[in-house]
Amino acid sequence: MKMITITLNGERTGIPEGSSVLDLLSIAGADRKQVAVVVNETIIRPADRSATTLKENDQVDLLVFAGGG
Amino acid sequence: MDSLQLGSYTFSSRLILGTGKFSSTRAMLDAVRASGTELVTVALRRFNRDQAEDDLFGPLSEIGGITLMPNTSGAATAKEAIRAAHISRELSGSPFVKVEIHPNPHHLMPDPIETWEACRVLAGEGFLVMPYIPADPVLAKRLEDVGCTSVMPLGSAIGSGQGLSTAEMVRIIIRESNIPVIVDAGLRSPSEACAAMEMGCSAVLVNSAVAVANDPTAMASAFAEAVQAGRRALHAGIMPRSGSAVATSPLTSFLGSAS
Repeated sequence: MKMITITLNGERTGIPEGSSVLDLLSIAGADRKQVAVVVNETIIRPADRSATTLKENDQVDLLVFAGGG
Repeated sequence: MDSLQLGSYTFSSRLILGTGKFSSTRAMLDAVRASGTELVTVALRRFNRDQAEDDLFGPLSEIGGITLMPNTSGAATAKEAIRAAHISRELSGSPFVKVEIHPNPHHLMPDPIETWEACRVLAGEGFLVMPYIPADPVLAKRLEDVGCTSVMPLGSAIGSGQGLSTAEMVRIIIRESNIPVIVDAGLRSPSEACAAMEMGCSAVLVNSAVAVANDPTAMASAFAEAVQAGRRALHAGIMPRSGSAVATSPLTSFLGSAS
């Protein structure tokens, strides 16, 4: 299986080529979480996650709500 | 009913609770319930599968009647705060945003220039913008002018527990403001929350004082009662100060007196 490298939450990470954002959520263990997904500074809405394929060197952030004042 | 109106949202509670610094998610949820709050702040953070407790969306959703107000904590510029607000709205579905821009981690004082710029943009985009600001009446008015839903002047530095050290400035902001004024940050005890409400604040935002108490649930309840007491006292009409004593008992016709 050919791999590509992306930056996930600031860390270089290898994922299978052709992975969608939805696939990445599963790989990252975030598929059952309410997460926001940002790819190269663009917010990827839930309806678009299966159709959005990740590319080499994409910058991906997965974000959740933590405690804060 | 004496309700708090923020945009199209109506709240019966005037206590806004932060969700940071609690020892556990369970402790935070218990405090939220005990406080009777309907509006809580949360912070945007990167997902970490090893820290599942960080994800508060699910647990807070299970408490009925809670609206989320994501903050932009971590942002040092207007651009970063605007980006955080967009992501948070996507995640929460809530139109509220607490604009919080503090570039210096040593004192956490809000940057008034970046805050104004972020608020101008976000209010224009339809957010219900609630900026955390220095207790500056001129800035407060400028933020009202660009469409903020409320202004939230600090009582004292975030997490310091130094109380309502800005009281006189907050009093001016309240007098001049046509939007709700909410004291945010620095409150240490329920009596200070009560004092803020007696001054005419529309609400108070408390986090550390509840989260680090030995019994956060009991402290949340105490703050709720104090906020209600302060609001009732304001409406009841607080007596004016006098420069001299004014007797409450008759001073004449006492035992053995001549007249």
